[in-house]
Amino acid sequence: MTDPNPAHPQGPAFLKVWDDYVAASQSLFERLSGGSSATVGGLGAPMPPAFLGPWKDFAASLGMPPDLGVGVGGQFKPEQLFASFLPGLGYSREYQEICRRMLELTTQFRRRYAEFAQQSADIGKSALHAVQQRGASDDTLRASPAAIYDAWIDSAEAAYAQAAHTEPFARLLADLCNILSAFKVERGKLLEALARQLDWPSRAEIDSLHRQVRSLTTAAAKAAAATQPAAARKAAAAKPAAAKAKSRKASKRGVK
Amino acid sequence: MTAAADSFARLLKDAAATQERAQSTLRALREIGDVEVGLSDRTCVYAEDKIQLYRYAALARSAKLPPLLICYAMVNRPYMLDLQPDRSLIRELLFSGIDVYLLDWGYPDGADRFTSLEEYICGYLGRCVEFILEQNAADGVNMLGVCQGGTMSLCYAALQPQNIANLITMVSPVDFRTPENLLSKWAQHIDVDALTQSGNVSGEFLNLVYLALMPFRLTQQKYVNLLQMHGDPEQLKNFMRMEKWIFDSPDQPARAFREFIQWFYQDNRLIRGELTLDGTQVLLKNIKCPVLNIYAANDHLVPPSASIPLGAHVGCEDYEALQVDVGHIGMYVSGKARKVVPAAITRWLLKRNLA
Repeated sequence: MTDPNPAHPQGPAFLKVWDDYVAASQSLFERLSGGSSATVGGLGAPMPPAFLGPWKDFAASLGMPPDLGVGVGGQFKPEQLFASFLPGLGYSREYQEICRRMLELTTQFRRRYAEFAQQSADIGKSALHAVQQRGASDDTLRASPAAIYDAWIDSAEAAYAQAAHTEPFARLLADLCNILSAFKVERGKLLEALARQLDWPSRAEIDSLHRQVRSLTTAAAKAAAATQPAAARKAAAAKPAAAKAKSRKASKRGVK
Repeated sequence: MTAAADSFARLLKDAAATQERAQSTLRALREIGDVEVGLSDRTCVYAEDKIQLYRYAALARSAKLPPLLICYAMVNRPYMLDLQPDRSLIRELLFSGIDVYLLDWGYPDGADRFTSLEEYICGYLGRCVEFILEQNAADGVNMLGVCQGGTMSLCYAALQPQNIANLITMVSPVDFRTPENLLSKWAQHIDVDALTQSGNVSGEFLNLVYLALMPFRLTQQKYVNLLQMHGDPEQLKNFMRMEKWIFDSPDQPARAFREFIQWFYQDNRLIRGELTLDGTQVLLKNIKCPVLNIYAANDHLVPPSASIPLGAHVGCEDYEALQVDVGHIGMYVSGKARKVVPAAITRWLLKRNLA
């Protein structure tokens, strides 16, 4: 039997939690429908923290930020969303780890690319300033759009070269490249797993076969070198080449 | 009319003329279709895996020089040296009576990702040299190494000096850590292990890097200038041949690329005498044959400072350097280089042959 009194001050704890859930839901619906009240059911009671609180604590214990990545000024920061996640757990642990790593790399790339865009903007500004300065002292620029354009390109290349030769720029480019490389490696792991599931040949299998073929070819060449005279060896190597040359000439003439 | 109105009227006239030129260029571009490259007659005389060794048909009486093997870079296609009949270094050499061979590295694919730089230099290149020596019953070949191919030629010549009669390097880096070398600066912090861990390095990636060296000129100005070509079909075809070559970059075999970047760009091992291939130290001082080092004064890929130091490190007494007032690509196709380079190579080789 349940107590008809919704407050249940002395009732079982789960009923208290249920009431809090209902109240929180009502509040949420009100907010979503445009109501500004933070009260429960319009009765004037404040929204109880008892239901959401434990969930927030639980989420925090997993490493989730309380604001779901919304930082200062309401700006979404995805890195905050997963930066302190726990390691992958359970049946899909390995895949969780790969995905987490890919997310991290995406964020790193995004951050570094923003810096790159900023550098590019600075280069553009600097080039524009240089063109303006040149225009002030060079009348020919004002008379010809082509001359202005050429001056713009010259200034832009000069400003770019100045930046591109610096250590921070080299590091920035390298970081972008290294992050992409790492991302490709992680993506490769997922594709490798997918190929296994679908019974497709995977990159690792093909690599293994290539290695075997190469070692067999090397061994065969060594064996041939040991048994054949040099002239015969060269003649044998030239034969397929001659055939290829023939087919090349044929294809140039459009003959199949 | 006031001066301002005059000026405005002139601007409008200019704009109209520009628009007209652009329209006629675009019309002509639609009509020229695909372009052909590398038209000189040649035969593949040796092939192994992806590589092919071509011998060009003679165009003049033999100058009785040792055969010339051109070792081109792996990062681009070698047809740049035979782009079109009137822009062909190979053709000019053939007209001088030189017996020209060209090593084409092909388009490496996944099967080549574990092929080492050592295999490319000591293996493929070495076997091509041996093949030519045997086919011609010669004691040594003349070798012309171009760009990265020049660096590879230097390594080979240092390891097998007895097989090289004369060595010519063209726009080839030797010192990879000079202040003007932007590619080198960018390469220092690249994690090449990670870059090559997931396979070959794509040609598209390399193209992006090349464009990034001079982004405004190479991605904007070049095409704006194209629109001002008055729709001249010949000029446009020349442009399209270059365009085809520039973006026809083969994927780079992962292991060889990793080794090239780490050993040459990051560690600068060649000039420091710290490179080892096939179990042997690669020492430039072992190169005793005559050397001609041709470099471009305005090279943005291989700055002169990367090529010039060669003279101080080779072991030969007969060393000559030739600076040409062009850029990297201009060295192959510009009118200025066409006037100077083939003649200089021929003259230099003939002189060594008589000596």
